[in-house]
Amino acid sequence: MFFALTEDQREFDGAVRGYLADRFDLDAVRTVFEDTGGDGHPASLWKAAGEQGWLAVLVPEEHDGLGLGLVEAQVIARALGAGVAPGPWRSTVLAGEALRLAGSDEQKAAWLPRFAAGEAVGAFTLRGSAPGALPAVEYGAVADVVVARSGDGLTLVQGATATPRGSHDGTTRLADLDAATGEPLPGATAEVIDELAARATVLVAADLVGIAREAITRTVAYDRERQQFGVPVGSFQAIKHALADLHVGVTMAEHAALYAAHAVDERLADAPLAVSVAKAKASDVALQATGAMIQYHGGIGYTWEHEAHFFYKRAKRLAGQWGDADAHRVRIADLTLPA
Amino acid sequence: MDLTYTAAEEEFRRELRTWLRANIPEEWTRPGFWEALDPDESFRLRRDWERDKAEAGFAGIAWPTEYGGRGGTAGMKAIYDEEMVRANAPRTVNALGLTFLAPTVMAIGTDAQKKEIIGPLLRNEVIWCQGFSEPGAGSDLAAISTRGVRDGDDFVVNGQKVWTTNAVHGDKIFTMVRTEPGSQRHRGISMLLIDMHQPGVDARPLKQMSGASEFGEVFFDDARVPAGECLGEIGEGWRTAMLLLSFERGASGIAQYTEFRRQYDEIAAVAKRLGRHRDPVVRGELARVLTELECLRLHAMHVLTQVEQGRDLGFEASMTKLQWSETYQDLWEVFDDLLGEDATLDSIDGLDLRPLHAQSMWSRSVTIWGGSSQVQRNVTAERVLGLPR
Repeated sequence: MFFALTEDQREFDGAVRGYLADRFDLDAVRTVFEDTGGDGHPASLWKAAGEQGWLAVLVPEEHDGLGLGLVEAQVIARALGAGVAPGPWRSTVLAGEALRLAGSDEQKAAWLPRFAAGEAVGAFTLRGSAPGALPAVEYGAVADVVVARSGDGLTLVQGATATPRGSHDGTTRLADLDAATGEPLPGATAEVIDELAARATVLVAADLVGIAREAITRTVAYDRERQQFGVPVGSFQAIKHALADLHVGVTMAEHAALYAAHAVDERLADAPLAVSVAKAKASDVALQATGAMIQYHGGIGYTWEHEAHFFYKRAKRLAGQWGDADAHRVRIADLTLPA
Repeated sequence: MDLTYTAAEEEFRRELRTWLRANIPEEWTRPGFWEALDPDESFRLRRDWERDKAEAGFAGIAWPTEYGGRGGTAGMKAIYDEEMVRANAPRTVNALGLTFLAPTVMAIGTDAQKKEIIGPLLRNEVIWCQGFSEPGAGSDLAAISTRGVRDGDDFVVNGQKVWTTNAVHGDKIFTMVRTEPGSQRHRGISMLLIDMHQPGVDARPLKQMSGASEFGEVFFDDARVPAGECLGEIGEGWRTAMLLLSFERGASGIAQYTEFRRQYDEIAAVAKRLGRHRDPVVRGELARVLTELECLRLHAMHVLTQVEQGRDLGFEASMTKLQWSETYQDLWEVFDDLLGEDATLDSIDGLDLRPLHAQSMWSRSVTIWGGSSQVQRNVTAERVLGLPR
């Protein structure tokens, strides 16, 4: 029995976190966050993502990738969530996954090496249909290529017209796309589309888990120091108990995201259940933990100058993306309680 | 990531399954069988069955062979726990002795204690109780007032213990006694091993809200205990107790998941039978609690991995207790919720609900005993997260 990250996976995690701490901290996030007219796609971070293999993680070795699994990808997603990092990492990885699972040899050869190296930005959506309107696509405005639904299948669209959509989660940029006809992905069966949705859901769950863990870690650090009534507020039982419950909840969500990634990679029979468990749990704890982050920082936590709102707003968006907790509970019930 | 057991472990599973199939009577697995049985009869059946199991080589799975154990892996212990639940095997009657006392004796007992305690415990010849809680010392364990006064080679013990599992059927009790007059809190306590069948020891059942009497009270009135019947150093009982409680961790989470999941399935079956499974609120609640159960399963795999890697989980045990006890209680609240205004009836549509209600009542105790949820939250906050006291 070995249910844990391996040494290599932990090193990957450390490398992403180390880079963010040294080179793209919350001040850098703030610069992107507050530049509402910008594309939310900082060049330095993107360059690092290409150089350090974050974008190559799921790309097969024959296309210049690392050929690793969703377990490794969720390690990166979790670290990026913890750093509330901006940029089209997930959208590019998912576009690559769509090509890997459903693309033609030519499509793979054309795009996968460029995605892996950070030379092209991808976007992936299952909302809307091409040709036509694709609403609120992550990094749709900077994507060189978009994989979107087209009837029952998937299509590769270039040159879509993008209209930026405002969002109070300043760590990500969204755009409505007006997509022209694209090239179909020949292997896009219903099963493949389900698997892509599962993979997207796991990566979002992992991002949420990273947000949630970081939110309580930062809150604990603050409450150990912050004095009220002559003692640290973290000595009050009302706060201790809430943070203890959150610690348990986030730990469970960490287990759930890790297992879901493994179950999808290995095509285990309970993978659909595992994915919904992970997303339901991660959505809930991320909202609880980021809400608590604001509450247990007191008034400062509600200010614009404090970073708590980066975490809260990112959690708000991702908690609903690829199905919110309620939607996944409906799915869990459908999987386990047949009528 | 490798979520499988080794070939040797799976071989052990097959062997154990075969034995269980041959040795668990069909009637024992009928719902409500144990609840309907006379408690003394139930105890006798379970004790004898477990003795047979030990003699067949299926006890002390991960204990060293020198103590009569099987010398198996943590994975084998997990498989053992899982298969016991899967086969509907009766719950052990010597849980406290097996989980806490035996490993402590192996670690710090004298040679005489190792010889006298471990073998008979394994074969269920001696049933052990734990004498920690007192009327004035529950979560505040250091507030005990049961005292032992040295008289020659003996301690003379006076005081009272409460919430003692198996008090009426216990043969011996490992108990916290204040042996230094006037000592305070954690100091001056000794862990005495007391024969319960002697003059001056009186055990009484304590009827609980479920109607059952798993717990009891134990009164000491000038009970004499040889000073050699102290586990660890005299006056260092707190240290012994902390070591003993550290053995709570381990692979039991897999068994808990398996058992709770079976109960979840029973509850879901009741919902279906009553047609409540179509109610979106009921479905949402069942899915929510199933999510927590799945998390418990994964947490158990995490714990098992840590144990197999030889890592000390330390205060993480508090998180495990919180997750399982709160989820278990939640599960039975969902059951009551789905019955709605019929939640207290003994039967509904010819379905006997009493065994289910017994579980529901029991769920109210699990967040109190073994360190209440409030204590576990304090431990998690202070010892794991590092928040100030």
